[in-house]
Amino acid sequence: MFLQLTLSGVSQGAIYALIALSLTVVYRSTTIVSFGHGDFVMAGAFLTYVLVVAIGIAFLPASLIAIVAMFLLGVAFSRGLIGPIRGGPHVGLALMSISFGFTLRGIARTVWGREVLPMPRVFDIDPIFIGSVVITGDALFIISIVAVLLVVFFTVLHFTDIGKMVQAVYQSERGARLIGIDVERFHNFSWGLGAALGAVAGVLIAPISLLHPDLGASFLIKGFAAMTLGGFGSLAGAVLGGLLLGVAEQYSGAYIDTTLIDITAYLLIIAVLLIRPRGLFGRKVVVKV
Amino acid sequence: MHDVLLKITDLHVSYGKKAILRGASFDVRNGECLTLLGANGSGKSTSMNAICGFVKPVSGSISLNGTELAGKGPHTIFKQGVAQVSQARDLFPDLSVEDNLRLGAMQRGKGKAAQVLADIYDRFPRLAERRRQATRTLSGGEQQMVAIGRALMSSPLILLLDEPSGGLSPQFCEEIATIMDQLKSEGVTMLMVEQNLNLAFRAADRFIVLRDGQVVDGGDVAAMAGDHDAIVRNIYL
Repeated sequence: MFLQLTLSGVSQGAIYALIALSLTVVYRSTTIVSFGHGDFVMAGAFLTYVLVVAIGIAFLPASLIAIVAMFLLGVAFSRGLIGPIRGGPHVGLALMSISFGFTLRGIARTVWGREVLPMPRVFDIDPIFIGSVVITGDALFIISIVAVLLVVFFTVLHFTDIGKMVQAVYQSERGARLIGIDVERFHNFSWGLGAALGAVAGVLIAPISLLHPDLGASFLIKGFAAMTLGGFGSLAGAVLGGLLLGVAEQYSGAYIDTTLIDITAYLLIIAVLLIRPRGLFGRKVVVKV
Repeated sequence: MHDVLLKITDLHVSYGKKAILRGASFDVRNGECLTLLGANGSGKSTSMNAICGFVKPVSGSISLNGTELAGKGPHTIFKQGVAQVSQARDLFPDLSVEDNLRLGAMQRGKGKAAQVLADIYDRFPRLAERRRQATRTLSGGEQQMVAIGRALMSSPLILLLDEPSGGLSPQFCEEIATIMDQLKSEGVTMLMVEQNLNLAFRAADRFIVLRDGQVVDGGDVAAMAGDHDAIVRNIYL
């Protein structure tokens, strides 16, 4: 049972990891906490749903179209709505993100009301049995896709010139400008990448859960919990935090009470902030007084 | 090639309603080192930031080899050949010395980056020894070497140095002075802001004095030899 729970937790946690990573990508490059990010996840899922169910495109190309569309939406959001107020108070930037998220949610509600939509099953992968542990096709698909994405992401970040430039902007925006990097364009790209990674999470969620316009809200909190646990701003921490949250939900639900599953993320945020505010990989902030 | 590389004409820069530069005009000639002198708030660093595009001038012209830079973004100005070693250095603390240096050539000068990197290691052997170290682990003087090296990686037409000796020990100040001597002998054009007048006068060919955002004095350093007190009086009194 323990192994089965761990596997289910890793599968669920992989999605949380992706959402936390997408939030961190935006946060590290722009220092904006994207409170509307859950709705990018929702929009990615709904767009895939529309392309598959309403238009009849196969799941894989539909997913790719949705991810590219969300990337473009993220860039457009950054250029059109964040760009004009960049440099203003942070609360304004956060409010813009929330407002845009709710606008996306409102559009979904206008079209589908509060209906709960079932996405047709798309993974036709037979479960694998290893002893008493069952690896479902869904879990295998999700874990594989997220693993490949993470390997590509961190390889590019640490071993390529583009990755070094990304790290440069993360560490010193002024320094990045001093070496000729167009930081505004980088911000736009980061919003696009964040939205696209969020959309990947939405695409992975769509076939295994029921879709509704509010689904982004719960995933946003899971993303925040994963970021808090891993250390706010740490890319690797976001991924590990997501995986640990997924596993923690399964353990708490199975060994303590199933009602705990829904509040594990909140409890985790409270516990981490009290016990180790910088999370697992966050840097200790020293405030001079 | 123009004798004048960088020409600043009637430059006005404000932070909000506060005017910092009020019609400053000066030029930097090819191959020379010009130092900007002036009391705090006279507009020295603002001049540097305006040239690099970090602040947009209200009016006036910044011309590099005849190309207008005023109003352009820092990344565009950098690609035109203006590199700055800023007062805060603005390095990438978690990246290695080598990554910091290589990044300096990624947007300009990539073609000859390997050769320039080898030259920089020859110039700063201490950096070659620490090439794999994160820059945050280096001393202040070593970080300044990385900052200068990073700026040189782009083979700039003009190198801007904002307080290169700021916060460094006398030993490192001497090293920085030696580096500047070498750069001068190689014909690198430099514009410098420096509070350490010994270093400023040792490295510079010419000086100008800014007061309240305007150029109020200037001349050849050699011609002022032995009369630095007069310049100091002009700066502060």
